[in-house]
Amino acid sequence: MDVEEEKRVPIGEGLLTAPLNPLENVRLLGSRCKSCGEVALATVSSCSNCGSEDLDVIPLSGTGTLWTYTVIRNRPPGDYRGADPFVPFAEGLVELPDGIRVLSPLGGDIDKLAIGMEMKFEASKFYRNADGADVIAFKFVPSHKA
Amino acid sequence: MSDVSIVGVGMHKFGRFGDKPADEMGREAARLALADAGVSWRDIEVAYVSTMYQPPTSGARMLVPMGATGIPICDVEAACASGGIALRQAVMALEAGAHDLALVVGVEKMPKGFINNWMLFHPWQVEMGMSANPSYWSMHAKRHMYDYGTTEMQIAKVAYKNHKNSVHNPYAMYHKEFSMDEILHSQMVCDPIHLYEICAPNEGAAAIVLASPRKARQLTTKHVTVKSCVHSLALYSADFRVPRESMSAIVHNPGPTMVTSKRAFEAAGIGPDDADCFEVQDTDAFCEMEIYEEMGLCGPGESGRLIDEGVTEMTGKYPVNASGGLICKGEPVGASHLGQLTELTWQLRGQAGARQIEGAKTGVGHVLGAGGNCVVTVLQAQ
Repeated sequence: MDVEEEKRVPIGEGLLTAPLNPLENVRLLGSRCKSCGEVALATVSSCSNCGSEDLDVIPLSGTGTLWTYTVIRNRPPGDYRGADPFVPFAEGLVELPDGIRVLSPLGGDIDKLAIGMEMKFEASKFYRNADGADVIAFKFVPSHKA
Repeated sequence: MSDVSIVGVGMHKFGRFGDKPADEMGREAARLALADAGVSWRDIEVAYVSTMYQPPTSGARMLVPMGATGIPICDVEAACASGGIALRQAVMALEAGAHDLALVVGVEKMPKGFINNWMLFHPWQVEMGMSANPSYWSMHAKRHMYDYGTTEMQIAKVAYKNHKNSVHNPYAMYHKEFSMDEILHSQMVCDPIHLYEICAPNEGAAAIVLASPRKARQLTTKHVTVKSCVHSLALYSADFRVPRESMSAIVHNPGPTMVTSKRAFEAAGIGPDDADCFEVQDTDAFCEMEIYEEMGLCGPGESGRLIDEGVTEMTGKYPVNASGGLICKGEPVGASHLGQLTELTWQLRGQAGARQIEGAKTGVGHVLGAGGNCVVTVLQAQ
C-alpha cells in the first residue's frame, strides 16, 4: 500500500510522537513539569504534583525496566479491542529513565516475565477504526529473547 | 474528637436479591436502624444517602415514601468510600449544631461480575485492556512479594481467616469455610490473586441513626461514639490507581490508608494498640496485608509475619474482619462502610453473637477505593 494513502491515528490524543510512520520511530509522549521536574504520561495541562501549568512536552525513553506486572486471565470489561476470542495477556508498570512508571500491556511469553527485566517500547497497529484509519497502540516487550 | 453518637443501626443482608429494588433494601435497613434507636422517621432532621451505582436523587426516591417530611435528603458518592463521606457529612452537621438527629443510609445494587471501571480510565486504556479491576491490586501484591518475600501462601491465609470468620455472619454473602488448598487452587484471576481471595460487587444496604450528645442521652445509655471520621484522597503518586496511567519513579508519598488512619487515630486520641476490632477494605486478600502495614499494626514488609503469627485472627491482638470482610460479605460499594460500622457497633455493644470479640470497646472501620478515596472511622463504646 502507498504510504501516502495509509491513514494512521494514535489510540489516545497526545499520547504518541508524530509522525506515526515508520512505527519503529514512534515513542510515548510525556509532560515534564518545569517547576518540580515530575513527568506525566501524554500531554497534560497541569502537573498533578505541584499544580504548575508550565510543562514541556517530551518524547519518553523507548527502554525501561519492569517494575511490576500481572497476567489478565479473563476478558477485561467494556470496549476491550484485544484478541477475540480472548487470550490472556500481561500488564505491567515499566520504569523509564525519565522518572516515570508507565502502565502498559506487555508482550512476550507471560510465563517468562520477571521484575527488573529490561523492556523496550513497541508501537503497532491495533485495529482499523470506522474512518478506515489504522489505530496505533503500544506495548512494552522484553528487550532480550529469553 | 467528636461527641456524636450512633444510637441505631440496621442492615439489609449483602448478597444477590434478584429484582428487589435498591430503594426497598435501603428502606428496610433504615426502618431497622430507626427501630433500633427507638425513633421514628418523622423525628429525623436530615438524611444522607450514599450510593455509587444508583441514579441521581436516589435518596429522595428511597426515603420520601416513608413520609414526605420535607427534610434535606442529600445524595453523596465517593466510590468504595461513599458510606464514609455520608457519615462524615452527618457528623459535621450534628457537631455544627445544625441538627440533633440524622439518618445515614448506604445502598447498592451492582451488575454481576468484575466491576466495569470504565470511568476511572481513558477510553484508549479500556480498549487496550488496562481497566480489568483486580489487576492493579495484583501488581501491588507482586511488587510486595519481590520487595519483601511475601508469599502466595501468606496472601491465601488472609482469605482463609476471613472465610472462616464469615461462617458466623448471617449478613454476609458467603458463609463457607475453605481449605488453604481450595483457596490456592481456585481460579487465578490476576497473578498472584485467586478467585477466593477477591471480594465480589453485590447488593445490600446499611443504615445508621446519629444523634447529638444531648439527644443521645435522651435516647439510650448504650450509645457508641464516633470518635473520628476522616476522609482523604491519595497524595500524588501514592497509589498507582491514582493517577491511572502512570506513577512517579521519584516521589514517594505515604499511601492513603497511612495518611487517613494516622489522622483518624490522632483525632480520636488513640493508637492502633487501643483498638479491639478492625473492619477493613479487603478488596482482595493482599489489600488487607497492605492495610496492616499502613495502619501501623506492623512495620513495612511485616504483614506476612503478622498473618503467619495469627495476630489478626479473632483471638489475636488485632482482630481484623471478624465479619468475614468484603471477601465474604461482598462489596455493595455505597453501603460498604456503613455495613462495617453497623458490625462494629454490634461488637462494641456486645451484640455480635458467635463472632463477638470479648470486651470490645473500640473499633476501627476502613474503606479505600477509586480516586484514592479513603475513610477511616473510629468508634468507641460509652
